[in-house]
Amino acid sequence: MTWTCEQTEARLSDYLDGLLDAAEWTAFNQHVNTCAVCTPLVASVAHTLGGLYALEQVEPPPNLEMAIVRATVGVVHTKYDFWAWLRGLQSPRFVYSAVSVAATIVLLLTATGFNWRKPKLADLAPATIYRNADARVHLVYARSTKFVSDLRVVYEIQSRMNEADQNPAMREETIPQSSPKKEPGRTDNTNPSSPKQQNRADEIGRSLRVLACEFPILSGALVDRRVP
Amino acid sequence: MRRHTRRIFNICYRFTGNRTEAEDLTQDVFLRVYRTLASYRAAHGGFATWMTSVTRNLLIDHYRRTKRDRVTDSLDDAMPVVENKESVARRPDEQALLGELSGQVQSALTRLSPELREAVILRDLQQLEYIEIQRVLAVPEGTVKSRINRGRIELARILQQMGVRPA
Repeated sequence: MTWTCEQTEARLSDYLDGLLDAAEWTAFNQHVNTCAVCTPLVASVAHTLGGLYALEQVEPPPNLEMAIVRATVGVVHTKYDFWAWLRGLQSPRFVYSAVSVAATIVLLLTATGFNWRKPKLADLAPATIYRNADARVHLVYARSTKFVSDLRVVYEIQSRMNEADQNPAMREETIPQSSPKKEPGRTDNTNPSSPKQQNRADEIGRSLRVLACEFPILSGALVDRRVP
Repeated sequence: MRRHTRRIFNICYRFTGNRTEAEDLTQDVFLRVYRTLASYRAAHGGFATWMTSVTRNLLIDHYRRTKRDRVTDSLDDAMPVVENKESVARRPDEQALLGELSGQVQSALTRLSPELREAVILRDLQQLEYIEIQRVLAVPEGTVKSRINRGRIELARILQQMGVRPA
């Protein structure tokens, strides 16, 4: 394949980019190696290409991005910003967040004793909120303590009663004998109207006996009260 | 956005050789892209290619405008004026930024005709494929190859005139 100087100049980029086929590449090289005109041309263009590839990316000024944002979104749509903001408020995520925040505020205010029927600005003062919250906390604590204490007594009684039911021997030993003429659970000397009432009366009487046995002081007090 | 900003700024800077002009042109490119976003069609190429087309059009407009301002007859006479303006406007950090060969190549680039310059910048600096350059310049592939080839050879000649020779 014959190769000319015009071909060298026309196909120089293809040669440098590796786009020539094998035959063209061989012919190109043979010509360039023997041509006094083409040799410096190829060398200078290759050197130039190296210089172009060596050019590094230039960093844009740091404020350029903000200037672009101001020039586009910031200026062009200033008129619509308010509506865009309003549209943003309609998103489900914002609505859920707002509702949860409002519910939290209502719960907190209610817990601190805020009167929703007669709201007063003074109730929202930090000192008032603190005082009400403190009182509420103490009240809740006192009620909780009392409730736990009551529960403890009830459970104690129930456990004693269960023990007495399951062990008749102990019950006979521990339960004081009632007066023979008086039926348990009957205070008015009348006959029970039905077996169900009789059973209930027996149950109550048994409980009272257990109580009297377990709490002699209470029993004594009851006795003392009955004596007069 | 940062990636596009950097790329567009570099194209503008390599075309004009001036940071201030490149900054203004980059801003103009984004403004035009923002306003004409509705006209973008993905079928006609990627978004980056479309942005590059917008950039190229603005650069050509800018070149024609500044050419009229300079009131010169030929491109070869006009370019030294740009160089003088640039040397006055360029800051010391810009001078330091340009290395020896890089500075000479950049200077030679601004002396190329705009058609060859844009082809060389897109191919050798932005590493675009021929098909992408074809879309950006809206010319046939043969013309793209021819412009790139002539641009490289012309650039080498200018560098030789500037006293830059291969080692």
